Amino acid sequence: MGLFADLRDSVSRVTASLFADDSEPKRIGIYGPPNAGKTTLANRIARDWTGDAVGPESHIPHETRRARRKENVEIERNGKTVTIDIVDTPGVTTKVDYSQFLDHDMEKDEAVRRSREATEGVAEAMHWLREDVDGVIYVLDATNDPFTQVNTMLIGIIESRDLPVLILANKTDLDDANIQRVSNAFPQHETIPLSALEGENMDEVYDKIAAYFG
Amino acid sequence: MPHQCTNCGHVFADGSKEMLSGCPDCGGNKFQYHPSEIPADSPSGDPTPSDGSDADSSTVSGAVGRAADRVRDAVAEADTPADDPTPDDEGDTQSDPAADSPGATAPDADPGVRAATPDDEDGAQATARSEVVDVSTLPDQPTDGRVVEEPDTDEAEPDLEDLREELNDQFESIRIVAPGQYELNLMELYDRQEYIIALQEDGQYVIEVPDAWEAADPTDVE
Repeated sequence: MGLFADLRDSVSRVTASLFADDSEPKRIGIYGPPNAGKTTLANRIARDWTGDAVGPESHIPHETRRARRKENVEIERNGKTVTIDIVDTPGVTTKVDYSQFLDHDMEKDEAVRRSREATEGVAEAMHWLREDVDGVIYVLDATNDPFTQVNTMLIGIIESRDLPVLILANKTDLDDANIQRVSNAFPQHETIPLSALEGENMDEVYDKIAAYFG
Repeated sequence: MPHQCTNCGHVFADGSKEMLSGCPDCGGNKFQYHPSEIPADSPSGDPTPSDGSDADSSTVSGAVGRAADRVRDAVAEADTPADDPTPDDEGDTQSDPAADSPGATAPDADPGVRAATPDDEDGAQATARSEVVDVSTLPDQPTDGRVVEEPDTDEAEPDLEDLREELNDQFESIRIVAPGQYELNLMELYDRQEYIIALQEDGQYVIEVPDAWEAADPTDVE
C-alpha cells in the first residue's frame, strides 16, 4: 500500500514538474543564524499576504526547531502576482549547548531536550538547503557581527548552488543595528535593511522578493 | 636504481621524483627499495644461469649452483667419465676448471654424477644437500619471493583506503560532546544524502535514507 502511494506520489510529482513548471511556486528558504528574526519575518510575510502565521516567535534562541512551510503565499507587486512557498528554517549554528537555555528560566531536562531538537533542526535546515530550496532569504541580526563561520559557509553554499539570495539586515529598530557592516560583509549581494518586528521597510523587501524569486 | 615498482617491475633511477606521483607505467604506488644494483634482475633472477653465478651469496639458486660446482669439481678430480649419462654437461664439465660455470647445470649435474662415481659422490652430495638445506631454512633470503607476493598486498591496500574514506565520510556530522551539547559539521550535514531526523543521547542517529525521504517529505514539514 505504502509502495503504491510512494509510486503515485512520485509519478504525480514528475508529471507536475513536466506540465506545470512555470506555475509551480518557488520554494524560498528563510535562513540565518539563531535569533536573527527569521520566524518574525516569515510571520510578517505570511500575515501580510495570507492572514495566517507560520510559527511562534521567541527571544529564546532555537525556538524554531523544525522547518515550517507556508505554501502559496501570493505577493502582489506592480500589478503582478508572485507566488512562493516560504520555508522557515531553524537557526543554523555550529554549536548547540543546553546551558544557553538555562538563562531563560528553563529546567535542565527541558534545556537538554531543546538542545537536541535544535541540533536536529540544524540538520534538517542543511538538508533542505541541499534538496528543496529554489531561493534563499538570508536574515541577519544587524546588531551582531556578520563575519562568522556559519554566515560565510552558508552564503558560500548558496552561491555554489547558484541560488538567488536576498540578504536582509534585520532589527533596524534597535539602536546598535549596523547595516553598513552587513553590506560590507557580503558586498557581492544586495543588502536590504528592515525591522520584521516593526514592519519597517517591508515594501522594499516585497519588491525585492518579487524581483528575485518571481 | 634503488627503487622498483612492486606491481610491474618498473625501475627508477636513484633520486628519481617520478615515483612520487605513482608508477608511470601501471600507476602502482608501492615500491621496494634496493640499496644495491640487485633489483634489475631480481624479478626473473631464479631461472637465469648468470644470476646463479652473480648472486652466489644471496639466493637459493646460487647455493644450488655452488653445490653443483663442487660436485663437478670433485668429479673432475676423480677423472671419471661423468659425461656419459648427461650429454648436456659435456661442455660445462670441460670448461669447468677454468670458470665458475653457470648454475643452470645444477639439476642435470646431480643425477648424472651420482650414477657415475659412487665414492666421491657421496661426500659431494652430502655437502651439496647440506648446503641446500642450510640456505633454504633461512627465512630472510628469498627476497625474490616477496616480489611475487606483493601484488596481493597491493590489492588489499585499496580496500583499507576505501574503508577509511568511508568511515571519514560517515564521521562527525554531529558530535555529541555531552548530553545536550552538540557540535555540528555544517558542510558534512549539507553533503550527506541521508537526513537525520532524530538524535539519541547514546550517540545513535535515526536517519532517513534518500529514497524514503521522497515519500516522507511533505508530512515532515507540515
